[in-house]
Amino acid sequence: MLMDPTLGRVIERWRAGDREAFEEVIDRYGLQLLRTARLILRDPSLAEDAIQETFLKAWQRIGSLRDEDPGPWLTRIAMNESISLYRRRHRFQALTERFGRLSGVKHEVSSEARLDLTHALDQLTAEQRAAVALHYYQDLSVEETARVLKVPVDTTKSRLKTALRRLRELTGAEEAFA
Amino acid sequence: MSDDFEKNLREHLHSEAEETREFPRRLRGRIRDGIAPQARAGLAPQLALAGALVLVAVAVLAFRNPTIINVVTTKITQLIQPSPSPTPRPFLCQDQSGGSSGLTTQLTNIRPASHAGDGYDRIVFDFSGGIPSWDLTRQESATFTRDASGQQVTLDGSAGLKLVLRDADLADTVAGDLKPRFSSVREIAQLGNFERVLTYGIGLSSSQCVRVLPLSNPSRLAIDVATTASPSTTAAPTPLPTLSPSGTDLGAFSCLDTGGGADSGLAMQLTAVRVAHQTGFDRIVFEFAPQAGGTAHIPAYTVSRQASAQFVKDPSGMPVTMRGSAGLRIVFHGASGATSYTGSRDLTPNLPVVQEVEQLGDFEAVLSWGAGMSRASCLRTLELANPTRLVIDVQTP
Repeated sequence: MLMDPTLGRVIERWRAGDREAFEEVIDRYGLQLLRTARLILRDPSLAEDAIQETFLKAWQRIGSLRDEDPGPWLTRIAMNESISLYRRRHRFQALTERFGRLSGVKHEVSSEARLDLTHALDQLTAEQRAAVALHYYQDLSVEETARVLKVPVDTTKSRLKTALRRLRELTGAEEAFA
Repeated sequence: MSDDFEKNLREHLHSEAEETREFPRRLRGRIRDGIAPQARAGLAPQLALAGALVLVAVAVLAFRNPTIINVVTTKITQLIQPSPSPTPRPFLCQDQSGGSSGLTTQLTNIRPASHAGDGYDRIVFDFSGGIPSWDLTRQESATFTRDASGQQVTLDGSAGLKLVLRDADLADTVAGDLKPRFSSVREIAQLGNFERVLTYGIGLSSSQCVRVLPLSNPSRLAIDVATTASPSTTAAPTPLPTLSPSGTDLGAFSCLDTGGGADSGLAMQLTAVRVAHQTGFDRIVFEFAPQAGGTAHIPAYTVSRQASAQFVKDPSGMPVTMRGSAGLRIVFHGASGATSYTGSRDLTPNLPVVQEVEQLGDFEAVLSWGAGMSRASCLRTLELANPTRLVIDVQTP
């Protein structure tokens, strides 16, 4: 992706160790990344931790950024940070989710237990939420989402499909479309 | 095909995201603090070339006139020392060090001043040459041990800082004991002056974070001690390490990073990692064996302290968070455990200080491990033979 010349100059200054240029990059991408991380992590403090790590890594690894818009590169780092942070904080939950999937347990949702979308999103896995956030919030295509998450396109499609099905089920929207 | 549900989901996500209205200032501050000590990687090649040219020039001059070395090194040191930065450095709640070795310099004055309105007390150490190598160590009490005599001295206050200046002479005019009795800095006393090592104790009213500014023209080291919970410090003060001597003949604990060993010959093979508590310390042992045809030796190692239990795996770059709130990173060069080590690569001993010990990398004869600790602690390393072992003792409360 071609960069606009102004951004190109900012990146060059960043490469030379200019902290003010780096802060311009934070100004440009920070809020969007923080919002995305918060959608995935469901916790403002954890999201801030993830974005702090993202920018610290970006500062250290500027050498690995090619001549490209740093947006997708930063998003990739932020997604890695968010998902791994979520996994570390929710190891037990991740295990039970995995066990549930392996045993084919299907969580039935009674009409009394129907959730609003916020709480339904809480029930997804971090990987599913990352796919949903990138595709539906950042408006990335399925292919772009797959590239950011470093997973095959089919896996991304599958995550999105499963996530949507689960959200419909949890919110009762499934019945409305039946 | 997008349907109403997906449209609702999209709108919901945007609405949820927009609850975060701006990028928090504190987060920006945390990032700024995090990048502060980084070297300017992009300038590294140019700086290396410039450094090489300077070294060649100095070598030629030194060959013609050996006395030029001191003059040149002092001038270079003055040139490369940063002037006061337009962006104030953060106050750090940890030990710090800096300066240059091998200078000919003299401490000419110590000037305490209160800047309570700005949130700190300042002590300025003036030097006639460059700023010598220095270590500043925080401690929990205002009691210090005098160099050489070993005599205890208690300064005014309930916490302290110890400043060690190496390769520095002392001018006769410098006061041996100052009692400014500011809100943070209460007393500054000379603890030692022996073989060009000057030691000062600083009594503080309470444990506070510190900012150190090396300044030039004239050369001076400004130590700012926060008078309140430091406004530019985002993290709470880290627990202070204790500095009492070990009381054994195994050597004293030091609150600095350390290293040793030798990267020579065939890579050593890691055979065991053990962790155990003993009176006064938690001990981590790395045991090695030579490869066939190799000779037994401790591989070159560094032990680095860090203020969090977050590490990065080598070479994947994946983050790892261990138990605890502080950490040690141990890196061996010329060592591997890939084929020789069969034990656990993630030990969770839950000792008083050492909470977790995990392998962080084993790649191309660079072997790295991390230790998550419940608090920042001082260290002692022992290199032992038969079998070859590196012992890292982590001081416990």
